[in-house]
Amino acid sequence: MVIELLQSLSEMQLVGELTVLSLLIGGIIMAGGIIIAKIAKLLFHKYYAPSLPKDTAQNISKLIYFGILIISFLGFTSSQGIDLSGIMVAGGIFAVVIGFATQSVVSNLISGLFLIVEKPAKHGDTIDLPDMGISGTLLDIGTFSSKVRRFDGTVTRIPNDKFFTSNIRSLTLSTVRRADALVGISYNSDIENAILVMKNEILQTMPFVLQIPEPEFRIEALGDSSVNIHVFVWYPKDDWSQAQPILLGTLKRALDNAAIEIPFPQRVIWSGKD
Amino acid sequence: MKTMSDASEITFSNYGIYDLGDNLELLLPNTLIKFQRISDNAFSYFRENSEGQIIEKIIPVKSNDVKIELVPILPLNHPAKRTNYAFLKLDKEIHLGENSAASIFIQCPIEIGIFLIYGDSHEPLDWVTCNPLHSRFSLYGSPDTGTLCKYAEVSLATDYNDSISYVNGVMHIVIENTLSSAQTISKVIFPITENNLYYNDSKSILDGIKIIMKKRAAVNIAEVKPTLVDTEWTPAPAWDKSVESVHHMEMTLE
Repeated sequence: MVIELLQSLSEMQLVGELTVLSLLIGGIIMAGGIIIAKIAKLLFHKYYAPSLPKDTAQNISKLIYFGILIISFLGFTSSQGIDLSGIMVAGGIFAVVIGFATQSVVSNLISGLFLIVEKPAKHGDTIDLPDMGISGTLLDIGTFSSKVRRFDGTVTRIPNDKFFTSNIRSLTLSTVRRADALVGISYNSDIENAILVMKNEILQTMPFVLQIPEPEFRIEALGDSSVNIHVFVWYPKDDWSQAQPILLGTLKRALDNAAIEIPFPQRVIWSGKD
Repeated sequence: MKTMSDASEITFSNYGIYDLGDNLELLLPNTLIKFQRISDNAFSYFRENSEGQIIEKIIPVKSNDVKIELVPILPLNHPAKRTNYAFLKLDKEIHLGENSAASIFIQCPIEIGIFLIYGDSHEPLDWVTCNPLHSRFSLYGSPDTGTLCKYAEVSLATDYNDSISYVNGVMHIVIENTLSSAQTISKVIFPITENNLYYNDSKSILDGIKIIMKKRAAVNIAEVKPTLVDTEWTPAPAWDKSVESVHHMEMTLE
């Protein structure tokens, strides 16, 4: 009965030599290809991707997935007896037409390829796009767009051509980063002593602050009410949370413990008699 | 919890293998470790470190034949594992004349690892440091291309017996200057993951390194390679077997 059904399907011609049976076989090949591509991608993510850098894993994953799809498509076309050389010529003409019609789509596609090749930033990098006012972790460089998870947890989709042409500031490309804070001490305080106590407190209580280069202290200004000291410390690139947010608190604690005054704005008024 | 200043009054636990039994208490300077059997197949683990942090774990065990090994490990974990490199700043510089060599011992910081032993396999459980103030980072090179290192200021030691219990191990360094000018050595930077540790009671030693200062084309470089120590002390298991090995490094002389 099944053989009879297949025979009847093979006799049902749709267009030219294209029969329902050959279309069914082609559909099975394509469906099989998609399933195999998804399984291969899944297995790769499960067993190999964790041991690879994130961006390499993503690129290999896409290569595997689309590679299997293309092979399936070629299998599909050959099963239908389609001559690809004719399509190539027609495709060339169509590509020009479609290219003009979908400039931004093609631009995003090409920019995506350039981003993958040039690698101005990798998956997982913390980046800042000052032109767009976006900072966060780069999640994915896709075919047409890239995704950045901002520090508030929301995800922003950026078209690849905008991402490619904007300034990209990488916050994780360097081995170390620098944090800074500005503190003011009273004019009565000994500057050298204040610097010494702040430096000791930083080095003793902030284990992620680098000993070399050592913390730097610059007398920034002789302000209206205080001598302003700018403090710079270096830390490993991934440990921002162990440096910048706690630096100012550490400096205040050091100055408080040493009874060094952090003055508030004040004005000395002299009366006419004086 | 007993501190280093109380060390004369109390006996700290030596490195080595301990039977878990029903209860086990290990005492280190500034650190207390307790194991307690809570059922036939599980233990509780309690550790209070020198910074007052408490860690508690439940350890399901496959059999009653479980032991604990307390050993010195490389000083790479506190406050967090970030690098495989050590930056040892010598408290006294070493002046080495042209075409000469020196052999020195230095105090190298260590941490202490706690391993579970099932038969022949060692499973890392926890680590502590008895001297957290001396566990810091530094950068060798520029911020964009430099190497992040664990940093310590170290003193010269007289020999392998000069190890400071629970805090420092002794490392042998051979420095050869094959250049035609004298050199001053104030720091040593090298991938420390190639150096094994060995222990005896509460003392520890590390594999050494050999530094050869030589000329390559127009550049003076220092080549650093690990050297195995010949000792009968017990080798300590590696804390992190998954680390990438770097067999030697070269750096440009300043």
